[in-house]
Amino acid sequence: MTTMSEATTDAPAAGEDAMSRSTLYKGRAARWMVRHPAVFPFVLLVLIGLVVGTINPFFWQLANLFDILRAAVVPGLLALGVLVVLAAGGLDVSFTAIAALVMYPVAVFVSGSAPDLGIAPILLMGAVAGGLLGTVNGILVNVLKAPALIITIGTQYAFRGLLLTFVGTALFTNIPASMTRFGQLALFRGTTQSGLNVALPAFVLVFLAAAVVTWLVLNRTLIGRAIYAVGGSSDIAARLGYNVSRVHLFVFAWAGMLAGVAGIMHVTANRLANPFDLAGTELSVIAAVILGGARITGGTGTVLGTVMGTLVITLINNVLILVGVPSNWQTAILGAFILLAGLFYARLDRLAAGR
Amino acid sequence: MSSATAKTNTALRRSQAVPFLETHDLHKRYGGVHALKGVNLKIERGRSYHLLGENGCGKSTLIKIISGAQRQSSGQVLIDGHERSDLDPIGALEAGIETVYQDLSLLPNLTVAENIGLTEQLVEGHGRLVRPLKVGRVRETARRALEVVGLPDDRAFMSTPVELLPIATRQLIAIARGVAGRAGLVIMDEPTTALTRREVSHLISVIRRLQDEGTALLFVTHKLDEAREIGGRGIVMRDGEFIEEIDVTETDNAEISYLMTGRRLELGRYRAARSNVDAAPLLEVERLTRGKGFEDVSLTVARGEVLGITGLLDSGRRELALALAGIAATDRGTIKLGGERIDVSSPAAAIDAGIAYVPEDRLTEGLFLEKPIRDNIIMSVIDRLRGRFGLVDRRQANELTERTVEDLKIVAPDISASVSSLSGGNQQRVLIGRWLATDPKLLILNGPTVGVDVGSKDAIFRIIQDQAEQGMGVIIFSDDLPELLQNCDRIIVMRDRRIAETFPADKVDEKALYAAMGATARIAGAA
Repeated sequence: MTTMSEATTDAPAAGEDAMSRSTLYKGRAARWMVRHPAVFPFVLLVLIGLVVGTINPFFWQLANLFDILRAAVVPGLLALGVLVVLAAGGLDVSFTAIAALVMYPVAVFVSGSAPDLGIAPILLMGAVAGGLLGTVNGILVNVLKAPALIITIGTQYAFRGLLLTFVGTALFTNIPASMTRFGQLALFRGTTQSGLNVALPAFVLVFLAAAVVTWLVLNRTLIGRAIYAVGGSSDIAARLGYNVSRVHLFVFAWAGMLAGVAGIMHVTANRLANPFDLAGTELSVIAAVILGGARITGGTGTVLGTVMGTLVITLINNVLILVGVPSNWQTAILGAFILLAGLFYARLDRLAAGR
Repeated sequence: MSSATAKTNTALRRSQAVPFLETHDLHKRYGGVHALKGVNLKIERGRSYHLLGENGCGKSTLIKIISGAQRQSSGQVLIDGHERSDLDPIGALEAGIETVYQDLSLLPNLTVAENIGLTEQLVEGHGRLVRPLKVGRVRETARRALEVVGLPDDRAFMSTPVELLPIATRQLIAIARGVAGRAGLVIMDEPTTALTRREVSHLISVIRRLQDEGTALLFVTHKLDEAREIGGRGIVMRDGEFIEEIDVTETDNAEISYLMTGRRLELGRYRAARSNVDAAPLLEVERLTRGKGFEDVSLTVARGEVLGITGLLDSGRRELALALAGIAATDRGTIKLGGERIDVSSPAAAIDAGIAYVPEDRLTEGLFLEKPIRDNIIMSVIDRLRGRFGLVDRRQANELTERTVEDLKIVAPDISASVSSLSGGNQQRVLIGRWLATDPKLLILNGPTVGVDVGSKDAIFRIIQDQAEQGMGVIIFSDDLPELLQNCDRIIVMRDRRIAETFPADKVDEKALYAAMGATARIAGAA
């Protein structure tokens, strides 16, 4: 019989059984992809760019590229909110209703009562109002202990009903001057060879800033890790000492805040406030986040992936027209891309797990 | 070095004065169930304790209270002599109590480093979340802990999400988290279930080092041999009460079983091994092969015979079990049952042919935990219970369930209670009951008593023997050698994906079986 002393002496070599290198590093490339999901939407972006650019060189013109960036701002802000909620294992569909419920009254209030207010306080108002509405979602999720999807479907209708019943249904065009100015402010202005004026709108920076701050929150604060912990398993997270209800409050407030800002940006970009706007775009925003590598079951997703995913969706919505694809077909192609992403990530997960 | 010695010395001095943890008259009631009935516990620094008792005796409840997962109904918890009866998970961690849970409690989507290193910063902030994360420190803490348990500590490994790793590696990561901080007490609930002998040996050396540094350890285990290997005090509980404190190395299995159950149990063979195998065997497997799983496996099982199959984790034993159950496909070879070739290309085909398979992991592969006992038992025979309009005949279903509950002595309030409300041993009996309901010719059990206490083990063995007595063929896949030696007529040892040797069970001992398995380092047994 082997004695205990022998057993312990060879113990340091323990890394050979279940811990053998071959098992631990199987599917290493797939694992790298799992951690850097932004690669997939990035490759899609490049491919779409190459194909469309070859067929119609106008694609590569700055005017077009700036247009795409401009169109990505509002869905991008919303997608960042969806990402944060999804990372915590929930699903929020009330964000468009929050955006609308924030943008319309804020625009009406500012132009009526404080028409000279600058863009910064207006954005702040939007952020605070959105954050408060998001907090309502968080409280409901904590109190009712029901799935976030169900609760936010409920609040989506409630918020929208509130807006249309008590605030207004009419198109509002008398936008405060500071919003109009901010919408036209350009980071870069130029004229193309063909004499076209092109401008990179400054509000693209709002999206950039939101992305950077969200990245910092998710990756460089304890609450960021707690969000993923709760998304992985809220029971286990609670057992390990994470305050699950505080995480819920935070993610919904954060998503609400981003939705509020998105609402303000929507008005700024279009120079009008339509209470019926944004409704119905929830799924394409969620699709952008999924395309960026977040799992619908929660606990995963990255900011870079989400930004890339948003760009892919915006690109498809905006450039297919350049190659003569009829708009009905665009929807089908968008669907195909989402299916492709679903397949890709499912396959990737299996590969990474070595199955 | 000198500071470590100084620390040890202070720890020792303090230990003489006040124990690290004490509980006084701890009670816990869940609704009408009185799970803990006044438990007094005293845990000294630098010592190992083993919580022994049957499933449902209150061990887990006690641990949940100490680790802050649940609050006691009454009684006190003292840490370092100070009353801390209001522990929550963060409070317990702050007090220096780390827990390695049986389910590991790892966050599947977080990386290895995060699973190990985040707790420290969470505790430092008293659970407050709006704080900057020190990324470098997470990695540093994780690296130290991984080194202790003998896992790699390179960047690629540390940034792998835990869900992508094999179960044994995850168990070591959970242990690494427990030892990452400088805990006063590390609680380990069944910490070795997925580990190989060699890893267990290494773990034991880690435990010794912790003890030398003044950490107390509290184990929950069904593996008495391992408890002896570690040494220390055994705390025996039964029915929510503290029964006796024993020295685990000085007390033999029979005595411990008696203390745990209050009954004397048979620990010898259940019946004499049969040597004369029927002329026409019940099951004939010929040259069965599955790609990388196993090769050229030929074996027979006679009516009324209990065959044991063992081998190390990668010997192909698990794959063979799955293939016979119709879960894993085979490439070559034939299976005959009662002289006729049968098709086991799917679980449904195997059931139709008369093979019942009781899987290894009852929680994830076998039972519908939130469903009533009845639904779990009739699951596999639902076609037979079809009454008018193709609906399930309630009366027949209830009769079948009641008969099974009675035959297998399942302890349950009633047949519509959910399976999750039963103890481990009773859950396992429900699972076996479901398969017996299919009237199988051949019963295959994979690890039938994993995580089951001695009392329930005995009951399950009696069921197996009963069925064999009535002419059913039984195959037990297991790495619990005493279990095979007690129950089987023959034992087949698999090694490197093939059958290595076949032994008559009454003429072989653990040592010979280990040798045939090719196990290099083996934990010294009870003998």
